[in-house]
Amino acid sequence: MLGKIVVVGASAAGCRLALAAHSVGQDVTLVDEHPQAMKDMSFDAPWFYGAGLPSALLNDNSIAQALLEGSPELVECLEAGVDIRVSTILWGAFRNGPNCVNVGRPRVGLVTRDGNEILEHDSLIIATGVRDFVPSFKGWELPGVFGGKAGIALLDLYQVFEGRKVVVLGTSELALRFIRSALSRGVEIVAVIEAGDEVAAGIEAAEWLSQQTIPVHLGHVLQEAKGSVAVTGARCASLDGSSTFDLDCDSIAVAIATLPNIELPAAMGCKMQYDPNVASWVPEINAQGETSLENVFWAANDRAVDALLERINGAEPDAPPGPPPAASISTLDYIKAWISALHQSGDDAVTLCQCESVSRGEFCGIAPPAYLGKELRNQQTPVNQSDSSDAPRINQDFMKRMTRVSMGHCQGKRCRDEAVVALSLRFGCDVEAIRPASYRFPLRPIDLGLIADDDESDEIRLNWQMWPYETRQD
Amino acid sequence: MKNFDIIVVGAGILGLATAYQAQKAGAKVLVLDAGATAYEASSRATGYLSLRGETPAESPLAQEAEKLWDSLDDELGYPTEWTQKGRIWAALDERELDELKSLYGTFQKTDIPFEFLDGDAMRKLIPCLSPNCLGGIWTSRSGHANPQRTSQAFAWAFNDLGGEIREYTPVLELLAEGGKVKGVRTPQGELHCDKLALCAAAHNSLLLAPLGIHFPLAPVRLEALVTTPMPPLFEQAFIGNGLSIRQTKRGNLHMNGGPYEWVDLEIGKEPAKPNTQIVRNILRRAIETMPVLKGAQFLRSWAGIVDMAPDQMTTIHRFESPAGLVTAACSGHGFGMAPAVGIAVSQLLMNRETAMPVGQLSLDRFKNVAPDWRVRRNWQAGRYNS
Repeated sequence: MLGKIVVVGASAAGCRLALAAHSVGQDVTLVDEHPQAMKDMSFDAPWFYGAGLPSALLNDNSIAQALLEGSPELVECLEAGVDIRVSTILWGAFRNGPNCVNVGRPRVGLVTRDGNEILEHDSLIIATGVRDFVPSFKGWELPGVFGGKAGIALLDLYQVFEGRKVVVLGTSELALRFIRSALSRGVEIVAVIEAGDEVAAGIEAAEWLSQQTIPVHLGHVLQEAKGSVAVTGARCASLDGSSTFDLDCDSIAVAIATLPNIELPAAMGCKMQYDPNVASWVPEINAQGETSLENVFWAANDRAVDALLERINGAEPDAPPGPPPAASISTLDYIKAWISALHQSGDDAVTLCQCESVSRGEFCGIAPPAYLGKELRNQQTPVNQSDSSDAPRINQDFMKRMTRVSMGHCQGKRCRDEAVVALSLRFGCDVEAIRPASYRFPLRPIDLGLIADDDESDEIRLNWQMWPYETRQD
Repeated sequence: MKNFDIIVVGAGILGLATAYQAQKAGAKVLVLDAGATAYEASSRATGYLSLRGETPAESPLAQEAEKLWDSLDDELGYPTEWTQKGRIWAALDERELDELKSLYGTFQKTDIPFEFLDGDAMRKLIPCLSPNCLGGIWTSRSGHANPQRTSQAFAWAFNDLGGEIREYTPVLELLAEGGKVKGVRTPQGELHCDKLALCAAAHNSLLLAPLGIHFPLAPVRLEALVTTPMPPLFEQAFIGNGLSIRQTKRGNLHMNGGPYEWVDLEIGKEPAKPNTQIVRNILRRAIETMPVLKGAQFLRSWAGIVDMAPDQMTTIHRFESPAGLVTAACSGHGFGMAPAVGIAVSQLLMNRETAMPVGQLSLDRFKNVAPDWRVRRNWQAGRYNS
């Protein structure tokens, strides 16, 4: 029994699932963080807008309108009477489990721009989609640098894109989608830079780029985003080191890859496994998309969504959803090639963690944060000693704690994936052999005034433990 | 076959401090942990040095630790973020004020200079403190540090002396033979040693039980969180309104408090440590305590398992049988105690005696604790808020 359902993520898939549940009479609530307040967009989660958000996004009404116009599925849910919570962040999910048996019915924490609510439910469907992957390079903090998904949202959804001349990094499907959108709105694509030696989206995509007379620089990498207050150019370098050249541009679209938004299932404690095809840890799921936690579902892909739709409609699918057909190059290999190229052509002084201002070199050398003004007596290694062959070689949480990379206000969403690949490349171990940094609630930073509880029961209040001087004797 | 002079079970701050001191004194030491270094109570800790005015029996040991803290960065060679700016207990309502007044009576049994201040004097020390603060206790002694960085400082300093830490190597059984310690059993086989330090928090009880030894410790889950960085607000170790709140050197407000959930542990397994919606109540109390925190953002929460003895005090015990075995656990204030505990345990292991004041802290004080003490206390697994 699914009972009361919460669907997280109003993508086409999330809307389909919510609508299906609603139409068979299930009590369902659909939650989505979009449209985001502009200050939340500046966290670069889920989409990497960078520092150059157009001021038109301050108009909450128009961006809400844009969101509805951009999603017929959401309008359909609205018209059908689904309980829809937009501009609502699901910041936490709580349920009974090991060492935690007093929660009662499963509940999620929701927060809007006005306050917060705890919503009880029975089943949770996680359809949180993907986010931008943007690796570091010199100048990536400048306004004008953004991720592919963010660029497409600015162009098509919100229609507030301000760039005129764009350099694109990457030749994946995402890059091609961005380029088509940009061209259709009269934005010039100055050049496409690709670290690999072929267009990742395939031969047809390469031919199409050629027909559009867009220069594609294979075997090249971005060395620097130039500019003092905003992007004014891009310096490119060939990977063989034979040449560098400058391009005139006002924007750099980093459209290398997207990664699944796994914060919620990971923080809930779903059992995870590494999938190189999506370059991420993802929840293990059964034939019905159910994770290791009962009645918590992960809408991993179209097949998982179909299986879940059948379940909602009362069928019992027996075939496991299975992964989508593997790409010729895994997302992990593609990301690795890019990070390797960027780290090879840029130097160790490049900022890896923007929130905490930590460079690549400081991170990999486990340097204490600069504000301490202290050094380590001796150089140390992050590599773990153990007799167990199953033991993680490196612990990313340890690296976080020592260097503060991924500890800042973006909660690691900008840097954690590059950080783990950088460790893998520099210390010669598989990404899977690195214990991933934990995800923690809240899933987005939240103003204290919005989330602070205003309904503390007398029971909790009276029994609140006064650590640590409640010393009692038998 | 003897592999090591000393095996330390548990790579938390107590085990690491012990290992560092023993290796420094010339022993060949191996540290084993079921998981990663300082991943349990040592990473949940607030980071306070408590001078234990609450429990005068352990205050002398805490004061020995205090002396060591001031030079710990230089001793170890790695930063700990030690901040020696005193400690404050604040009362935000009449009930808390009464509690603090009675606590102050206990505090005065120590030789630590504590003062009882009114609300205005408290706000002079911490200007952002709520106008509702009625008063509290202050001492210029004590301080706080970064728990994760300090544990790692001990670990690295121990490594620098040639010590070895094996992570993800759980100890499944303590081995003794002929009344003497023989070693430990791990999934990878037996490891042998002359002496054994058991510093595995509430796992101590589980590992000692097969030897017929009762070490009464109850594991409890507690929650903690941090906000985004704020401008410098205060440097003291603050306790009040049911919270411990510390501003880190980076500026984040690190806090914890609230209901306890009593749990059970399994040998060799990393315990689950989920958070609950109680973090909202912690945040509400934080704003009540320091209204300026409304301007911060809730950034990250986590929980940890802490071991609690019946009297909530430190235990350090050397066994006559099996000879060569010493155990320690600190009821949730091991972080501040660790520099002194490390010396005490390593000296007890290597010399059978210590200069540290641990006379009142042995297991002997629990002789009359009934086997079902957790049930009697209502501290059995699943109990909440009790």
